[in-house]
Amino acid sequence: MATASFEPTAPRAPGLLRRVGRRISESWLFLAFFAGFFLFWEFSIDWFDIPRYILPKPSEIIVKSSADFERLLYYTYITGAEAVLGFVIAVAVAVPLGLAIAFSSVLRRTIYPFFVSIEMVPKIAFAPLFISWLGFGLLPKIIISFLVCFFPIVLNAILAFGSLSEELTRFSQATGARAYTTFIKLRLPAAMPQCFVGFKYAAINATVGATIAEFIGSDQGLGFYIQIVTGNMRPDLAFAGIFLLTLLGLSLFGAVTLAERLLIPWHISVRRRQ
Amino acid sequence: MSVAIDIRAVSKSFGSGSETVHAFGPSDLFIDAGEFVSLLGPSGCGKSTLMLMIAGLLERTEGEIYFDDKLVDAPRTDIGIMFQDNTLVPWRDVRGNIELQLEMRGLSKHKHADRIDDLLRSVHLKDFERRKPFELSGGMQQRAAFCQALVHSPDTLLLDEPLGKLDAMTRDAIRRDLQGLWMRTRPTVVFVTHSIEEAVQLSTKVCLITPRPGRVDHVIDIDLPWPRDLDIKRSEAFNQYIGDIQEVFHGYGVL
Repeated sequence: MATASFEPTAPRAPGLLRRVGRRISESWLFLAFFAGFFLFWEFSIDWFDIPRYILPKPSEIIVKSSADFERLLYYTYITGAEAVLGFVIAVAVAVPLGLAIAFSSVLRRTIYPFFVSIEMVPKIAFAPLFISWLGFGLLPKIIISFLVCFFPIVLNAILAFGSLSEELTRFSQATGARAYTTFIKLRLPAAMPQCFVGFKYAAINATVGATIAEFIGSDQGLGFYIQIVTGNMRPDLAFAGIFLLTLLGLSLFGAVTLAERLLIPWHISVRRRQ
Repeated sequence: MSVAIDIRAVSKSFGSGSETVHAFGPSDLFIDAGEFVSLLGPSGCGKSTLMLMIAGLLERTEGEIYFDDKLVDAPRTDIGIMFQDNTLVPWRDVRGNIELQLEMRGLSKHKHADRIDDLLRSVHLKDFERRKPFELSGGMQQRAAFCQALVHSPDTLLLDEPLGKLDAMTRDAIRRDLQGLWMRTRPTVVFVTHSIEEAVQLSTKVCLITPRPGRVDHVIDIDLPWPRDLDIKRSEAFNQYIGDIQEVFHGYGVL
């Protein structure tokens, strides 16, 4: 057909092998920089004669902390549980609440402005209070982790569910579809990308919340561990704790990113990465 | 059966009090069943506003609009509608997007499978039915949106600058498809555009709308044979219409 000849053919998705190859060729510079950074750290301790109680070598961190491996692993589990539970509960509560606020004019004029002003309060400031109310156990840490996750999720969910494009709104009106059908077929999928903005932000905050809550008062967890070993002049062990916290944060963020990729592969932020 | 659309003393204002913006009208317009009518005017003249009021998607400030004898007092669900930004959703492929129209209406997509195949073939998209909208060019997307707007066989088509964002060659190709489709089934079409050439090529009637606040000022019957292909577009009569319309807009201070 003559009319079709003007159209370019759509590009095909590249094969898996080519994608992996491209990934490596794109990131080798970063990997080299990373390796260089740790090598510099390793050797500069001797070059600049830095005392071990100030900054240990990476190799020493690995060797020394491996003696404490079991405890570190258990504390990683504790802090991880606090962060993940806080995050999961926040998602379970904040998404339905955001949905309700987006669709209820009463809630939008009462709870919504309340949330916006509460968002300005640093949630971490509540940590000492919760610990004094609820003790040294896991619960106050889960609550703090929940609080730092809750607000970004709820505010993004309100935005997500409240803003279907004008065209799609009119399209659904012109089909005469029921509100439920419009919700399932248009609003819900269209809201997902904005919801994930909140989930990702919360995933980054969750470990931070749990760690700081542990700093303030606890008897286990990586935050507790870092505070104790720093007091004992063991920066090598503190760095091991920091490394595991980083790993924890990355894992949670990675899990959310993976979920995003599986649930909304069609979204631009996901497509760009592929 | 196609329907006639009767627009009586319709006007639209936005806001209230001293902040009122008078967007359109008052204007009368009668569109007979099976006509292809273009609303032609400069941007911001209220032609899209009029189209939304015809669709029942925007409330009128004054006047009445009738589909045959039925007053428009709610969104019309028996129409096919297209906007400048298409209503394809990125999470469905081309076929899924066409089926979306059926699903929203509670119609069976299996019973309409042949209809979807026919539509896809008529706009040369059959090989692309499993592609997502973002994998297609702008022209292909609008063709897919076109199938989406037509799949439930509406008697009335309201098209709000559906080709506005496309390049000239693609516009030409899709115009030809649109004309072929209209000639086959003769729905009543209201076509919003700011292209004089497009309006003259496609329409039985061209309504010239004045700059804001827009009013239907001239209604010009286009008496040219169908199909209006390249030969017609080169003809003296075709260019006479273009010249006449340009003169009117020149009078408005637009051209």
